[in-house]
Amino acid sequence: SGELYCSLPNPRNVRFESINMKNVLHWSAPEGTGDGVLYKVKYAVYGVGKWIRKPECRNINRTWCDLSSETSDYEEQYYASVKAFLNGTCSDWMETARFNPLTDTKIDPPMVSVSSTDRSISIMLTAPEKWKRSPEEESISLLQVYPGLQYNVSVLNKKTKKRWFFSISNNTLVVPWLQPGTAYCVSAQIHVPTPLLDSDFSK
Amino acid sequence: TAGNKIFHFGPCRVSMSMAEIRAGFSAIKANIQSRDPIRSLSILSHPHSLHKVKSSDRCCITHQLLSFYVDKVFRHCRTEDSFVNRKISSIANSFLSASRELGQCREQNNCVCGEESTEKFKQILANYEGLDVTSAAMKSLGELDILLDWME
Repeated sequence: SGELYCSLPNPRNVRFESINMKNVLHWSAPEGTGDGVLYKVKYAVYGVGKWIRKPECRNINRTWCDLSSETSDYEEQYYASVKAFLNGTCSDWMETARFNPLTDTKIDPPMVSVSSTDRSISIMLTAPEKWKRSPEEESISLLQVYPGLQYNVSVLNKKTKKRWFFSISNNTLVVPWLQPGTAYCVSAQIHVPTPLLDSDFSK
Repeated sequence: TAGNKIFHFGPCRVSMSMAEIRAGFSAIKANIQSRDPIRSLSILSHPHSLHKVKSSDRCCITHQLLSFYVDKVFRHCRTEDSFVNRKISSIANSFLSASRELGQCREQNNCVCGEESTEKFKQILANYEGLDVTSAAMKSLGELDILLDWME
């Protein structure tokens, strides 16, 4: 394929980093190479024999490449690979492990909105959306991707430091019998039992 | 127990400890998949995806797949790593009991084995038999998450 003799050290730690199914390929520069290293990227659908080049990530000097569009079908699994070039020589292709968008993504905390009466708090939770190509594209909530998705909610009485935990499947929670004139801190986390995925707690 | 999931297939239902199976597979996934160098062939997902199987055929093909893993996959996946072997046998035991549970119900209720699921399962066996036994078994085990994702 007209490839040069490849004696350049390989890119390292080639892996997908995924949040809400925004799937970005990351790697570290080859050991001992300063500036000037360029890279090219290809990817493949597992089970299909073709490697496909990513034109937007050809001859780039950054060490990441957004493959969200190419890996958006979460019923498929993927591999990606990176090759480095410097001063007329190159490295080997270095591959990721098999990437399963459904189980290998991280999920952001839910959006939390709170309203209150003098003795109760109403909490509304919204799961994040799956990554989409453009704002015009139809939104898909991660609730649709993970039907078993639940919310863990923490309510802290800032005066007494007493904390309550709730685990709910629907997205609203009313906490009654609270003390008037008292500050409460509400935080929520997404929990998907299987495949096991937990977000951080919201700030 | 926590993490048990009950699957309903028409008149049949089967209970599986999905959280436990998933956790076991996650622990060995990188190890198992790294033993499978063939990117261009999938046992379960190509050329026909499991996700295209009609719901009426799910009972039959689920039982066929559970039996396939019990009879043709787990027993050919011994490794030199005792940790991996323990996880494999734990998953195998879960599949064995689910396969028996679903098998009994299938006999009593005659789960429909439509043309589509029969064709799909034939394709899976052809993919499997296209490789030597150990490679085929290891590749199939490495695709367990494809099966679990589809089941759920």
